[in-house]
Amino acid sequence: MDALQLRDAKRMPYLVKAVARILVIDDDACVSTAIQAILTRHRYDTTLSSRAHAGMHALQASRFDVVMVDLFMPGMNGLDTITRIRSGSAVPIIAMSGFRLRNSLDPEQDFLGMAMLRGATTSLRKPFSPPQLVAAIERSLGLTSSTEKTMQ
Amino acid sequence: MTRTENRADYPNYLKCVERGGHRAEEPETDRPSPERTRAANEVGSAIAHQLNGPLTALRLYIGEIRQNSDRFRETAEAQDMQPMVEAAFQETERLCAMMRLITDTFEEPLYPETAAALGRDVISWWSRTGSPESGGSADAGGPAGTASSPSIHSRLTPREREVLSHVSQGCSNKQGAIRMQIGPRTFESHRARVMRKLGAKNAADLVRMALGER
Repeated sequence: MDALQLRDAKRMPYLVKAVARILVIDDDACVSTAIQAILTRHRYDTTLSSRAHAGMHALQASRFDVVMVDLFMPGMNGLDTITRIRSGSAVPIIAMSGFRLRNSLDPEQDFLGMAMLRGATTSLRKPFSPPQLVAAIERSLGLTSSTEKTMQ
Repeated sequence: MTRTENRADYPNYLKCVERGGHRAEEPETDRPSPERTRAANEVGSAIAHQLNGPLTALRLYIGEIRQNSDRFRETAEAQDMQPMVEAAFQETERLCAMMRLITDTFEEPLYPETAAALGRDVISWWSRTGSPESGGSADAGGPAGTASSPSIHSRLTPREREVLSHVSQGCSNKQGAIRMQIGPRTFESHRARVMRKLGAKNAADLVRMALGER
């Protein structure tokens, strides 16, 4: 979105198409608050959840267009959270993690790779930049319809 | 999953990591002992994990500030700030690059809560794709080399073993769930995890494995 579009969007929000709702599940409040700050500026409605279980409840209670999940959380870890979400929903999932876990056979195999195997739509390695964040969201939103088709 | 389960599986994970082999052959005199290295890695990865959050937040804020100071530099003051914003951005990017190196170096993030579960994942992934020790099992797609019963049992949690036994007795998800007094959804997710761990393609495959056939 360029500067002109952004300014127009601020003055005339009714021109902007339906606001996508994003659920962020991350135990680190400083991260999720920053994500919310950036996404709000990009006209997304962001809900924060600091625990996997609370996030699952939010997901059941309300409709979201994208879910962002941190892989390292106390309680239920992110990989299990992704499995749980996938068992009942085709919502696009963005997996976030700072860590890789490489092994000598396949250096590409890491936590984010495992998240993809479990059904994550895309992944973001921390720390990520605002353009990377927005691109991941847009990528996920673009995938929504095709993902739903394959799940049904 | 209970804590005691985690602890029981913990050593398996460590063994698995050590089989990865990068330090197994090196003489102990030249390097700290595996225990020391592991402890150092644990501390290091814990610190890296702690740093990663604030750094992610910082990168997001600075990135957004910079992008917008680019757009609105009408006032002289904003123009003065520009080089500082740019410098702050560059420093943040440098920090993030360092963080990448650090998190790449620490190969085992060992948090008691998550390590066991993640370790099991790695183990099952390795056994599906073939580790050096599993010899010929690396060839061809299928669930190669995963079917010998002792390894099935060491790879599964007690709960998953229970689910597997119900499935191999021909229980449906509903029947199994009733027997275990858990929800059908929970039973289903246990079953899915067992299938993934063992590399079973379908229920029949799973039963064959449980009975120890190839």
